[in-house]
Amino acid sequence: MPFAAETPQPAAQVAPRTPPVGDPGSPASPGADVVLAVDTLSKRYGSLAAVDGISFQVSRGETFGILGPNGAGKTTTLEMIEGLRKPDSGRITLLGLDAVRRRRAVQNRIGVQLQSQALWPELTVEETLKTFRALFRRKLPVETMLERFSLTDKRRSLVRDLSGGQKQRLSVATAMVNDPEVVFLDEPTTGLDPQARRSFWDLIHEMSGEGKTVIVTTHYMEEAEALCERVAIMDRGRIMAMDSPRELVRGLEFDNTVECTFAGSVERERLLALPAVHDVKKENGAHFLFTDDVSATLAGLMGLTDDNNERVQSLQVRTATLEDVFISLTGRRLRD
Amino acid sequence: MNVKGFLQLVFSQGTILRRNTGFWVTSIMTAALSMAVFGWLFNPDTQPFDLALVDEDHSQASRTLVEAFNGIDNVDVREGSRSGEMTSLRDGDLGAVVIVPEGFADDLGSGSATLPVFYDNSNPIRIGYVTTTVNAVVDSYNTQMTGQSSAVTVQQQAVSTQHVRFIDFLTPGMVGMTVMWVNLGVGFLLVTWREQGILRRLGVTPLRPGSLIASQAASFSIVSLTQVTVVLLMGHFVFGVAIHGNFLWLAVTVFLGVMAMLSIGYVVASLLKTVTSVNAVINLVAFPMMFLGGSYFPLDPPPALKPVIEAIPLTHLNDALREIVNHGGGLGDLWLSWLILAAWVIGGFGLSMRLFRWQ
Repeated sequence: MPFAAETPQPAAQVAPRTPPVGDPGSPASPGADVVLAVDTLSKRYGSLAAVDGISFQVSRGETFGILGPNGAGKTTTLEMIEGLRKPDSGRITLLGLDAVRRRRAVQNRIGVQLQSQALWPELTVEETLKTFRALFRRKLPVETMLERFSLTDKRRSLVRDLSGGQKQRLSVATAMVNDPEVVFLDEPTTGLDPQARRSFWDLIHEMSGEGKTVIVTTHYMEEAEALCERVAIMDRGRIMAMDSPRELVRGLEFDNTVECTFAGSVERERLLALPAVHDVKKENGAHFLFTDDVSATLAGLMGLTDDNNERVQSLQVRTATLEDVFISLTGRRLRD
Repeated sequence: MNVKGFLQLVFSQGTILRRNTGFWVTSIMTAALSMAVFGWLFNPDTQPFDLALVDEDHSQASRTLVEAFNGIDNVDVREGSRSGEMTSLRDGDLGAVVIVPEGFADDLGSGSATLPVFYDNSNPIRIGYVTTTVNAVVDSYNTQMTGQSSAVTVQQQAVSTQHVRFIDFLTPGMVGMTVMWVNLGVGFLLVTWREQGILRRLGVTPLRPGSLIASQAASFSIVSLTQVTVVLLMGHFVFGVAIHGNFLWLAVTVFLGVMAMLSIGYVVASLLKTVTSVNAVINLVAFPMMFLGGSYFPLDPPPALKPVIEAIPLTHLNDALREIVNHGGGLGDLWLSWLILAAWVIGGFGLSMRLFRWQ
């Protein structure tokens, strides 16, 4: 069961965000308060185009997701915006400033959490926060940060003695010490258990509720659905699609996905010929049938046999998700 | 970055270094162990000493006394003038000067003559050896020549000398070695930070590489000055090492040494990627430097090796430290060592600022 295992129960307490007024699907309109504008940004590593001429805009207060598999170029994109890497070409305007040339001015006003937690194991929680505070012009009091990230009773503990969740909270806290206007989170929940991931989502909702612009990369489609008002789907250095999660799914020509396996092999044409099937993708021995009429497709499928005269071996029916958007765009899954 | 922020950064890094106990304890332990071994167990100073005799009487009696000193085990005896030998004694080249004064024979004839003995008071072990040796010779002279045990009385006088014992030589060398080990370690620290992603993390803040390096230099200087104090106090109170020089010059020298070693550490960390390779290269740099830089033994190098030794920063750090600790050296004695250390600092930092990468 490929999807079910990785997908936590449908977000009950954390419902997908309803985008604010206006047409949420379109990129920030010229009149809106654009916080980040990326224009034909490229970065090559040797012959590999890690980021290949991408453009997007993010409005103030928006939670924007970059969804894609490992190696899609998400991290490289963030690193160029954050000032860690120089772009080969293209422009980045962040908070009204050229993010490459006015790097430090921009860095004073953004908060960044990198993939690795990057904390000094030898310092205590309080010392860590004090050290990061020292780097910024604008800063919040240590007490505030300790309380907000529920670290007050751990203030004198060494980082090396913290649990994974506590380290994660401290790591985010270090990104927030300067009360940033824009927060970048690079795959923040990778490696967290479902419980910790869920409480991290709450944290991001809180940030967003304070009016902060949040830009998050992830390869969890349910995360993008739960957090982001808009999502850019990225693969091989390019943005394949960009819209609100709901519109991206609605844009599919089908409503449901039927995932099935056979003991033997079945020709693709026979599956495509089934009623209401728009497209068929095959991956790791499983067939994905994209359908706009589940019952008609299922009825047809039941009558189908493989070369060994055997019928359908396993079957799963789902409402279309961002994952299906990704599969239909690239023919591959987000994660292997 | 303002002053408060900078101080916080210095303090945090000092805390990190302090909690990385292995970082500073190892070099202090090495210094302490070396000082114990060479100060107590294997002490090159209990070896033969030089004795000078000055015969001012030129009589039969004085000649016999002088002859009596020849052929004592473990003592090199020579003769010379009073002024010349006293200068040698003050310079630390002699164990003692025995003077047979003018009128010695006459005094002896009238029953009691005195024999002034000037000895180097810097080495307690040697003092005992010198006085017992002289007394033994005089006693046997008395019984053999005069039959009276009190005919010649030894009149001992301590003389403050510049004698440098091996432990006196070693202690500043251990200071230099400690400074070298701890500060080369910055390379290890930086590459660890890079592997842990900490440098990348700092790279997305407005922190400038220059501020990071400056704060690191400050915290390493504090750690090093503390270590130097520990080593010197140990030398002074446990081994009686006299510290002649000015503490300000000492601090300046240590600071320059810290900076020179840090700059090498930065270059190594900038050129190499992994913790293991940095570790290997630092050892490869440090061990030869420790011996060629003369931390343990005075070197008498073959001419081919001389330019190498003259180029090594530790050589000049040790030279300057010995000049201050052993001889109370001033600016005139120190400027060349300082200049060469400063050249290392400028070259090393210039290079590493060019090579510095956050990731």
